[in-house]
Amino acid sequence: MKAKCKECGADIEVPDDALPGEIVSCPDCGLEYEVVSITHGKVELKLAEDVGEDWGE
Amino acid sequence: MSKTSVIKIGGSLVSESAYSNVINDLKESGLKDFIIVHGGGNEVTKYSKALGKDVVFVTSPEGIRSRYTDLETAAIYNMVMRKISSDLVLSLNARGFRAIGLSGIDAGLMKAERKKRLIIVDERGRKRAIEGGYTGKVKEVDSDLLLKIIGLGITPVISPVALGYDGEMLNVDGDRAASAVASALNAERLIVFTNVDGVIINGRVKERMNLKEAREVLKAVGPGMDKKLIACIEAVEGGAKEGVIASGKVERPINNAINGLRTVVEGQ
Repeated sequence: MKAKCKECGADIEVPDDALPGEIVSCPDCGLEYEVVSITHGKVELKLAEDVGEDWGE
Repeated sequence: MSKTSVIKIGGSLVSESAYSNVINDLKESGLKDFIIVHGGGNEVTKYSKALGKDVVFVTSPEGIRSRYTDLETAAIYNMVMRKISSDLVLSLNARGFRAIGLSGIDAGLMKAERKKRLIIVDERGRKRAIEGGYTGKVKEVDSDLLLKIIGLGITPVISPVALGYDGEMLNVDGDRAASAVASALNAERLIVFTNVDGVIINGRVKERMNLKEAREVLKAVGPGMDKKLIACIEAVEGGAKEGVIASGKVERPINNAINGLRTVVEGQ
């Protein structure tokens, strides 16, 4: 499956077996996206949040 | 700059109840104004298993493995941390101190921002965003309250449990919690006790580092030590005079952390 990068317009390859929540990145600009849903071979992405490292004990 | 020392007693010392050396030496060293922040992740794992609760760990893209804290785990976490705190308070009071156990939820002492989403590497080796559970990053520490307690001659023992901004109880990293306390107080020093002598570079303990050097070696130190080093860096950047990583297993741990073989991170 392919999706377009909202930043630079490059094609982002999304694996066919991707799961919601999976993070994919634009091969050109490196921007990261989170897979929101996959319906009938169509993938919806949103910009991934930047989550810093600090996860408790 | 306050004269307070913030002492982090890591999980490795709590698990083996090896902190008695540290507490004995607090008396010997004559250190007066100090605050203890403890860890205890291993104990939480032990009690979770005993209670029949599955322990789930997730791994970040940076390779750091952390407990996944769902609501039940958060409750067990709080119970175990309170027990560790009580054990430390008993131990301190038995040696003539007046200690009080506190967590971040008491009087809103330590507030944290909940991580609503976490990025993990899943079982297929792919990066994935998941619900964050009940962990957070400390954002605020009530330094006035701590200074008033210390002013009464009472030693605060702080558990790494924070109050979230939506009123929830959060698991926060003990090293970073200690760092946040040291920053808020502009402490004289943060001492992070562990089971090795300090940051080891090329087989030797690196005794002194400025902030730039400390950041440079971050990637070269092993897992676990990197969090301690980050805690020291953030404490110094936040206003503490120095951050010390030292062994809690030597005969006189406090004296050693101040004058002996250890790693000191200092400002420029």
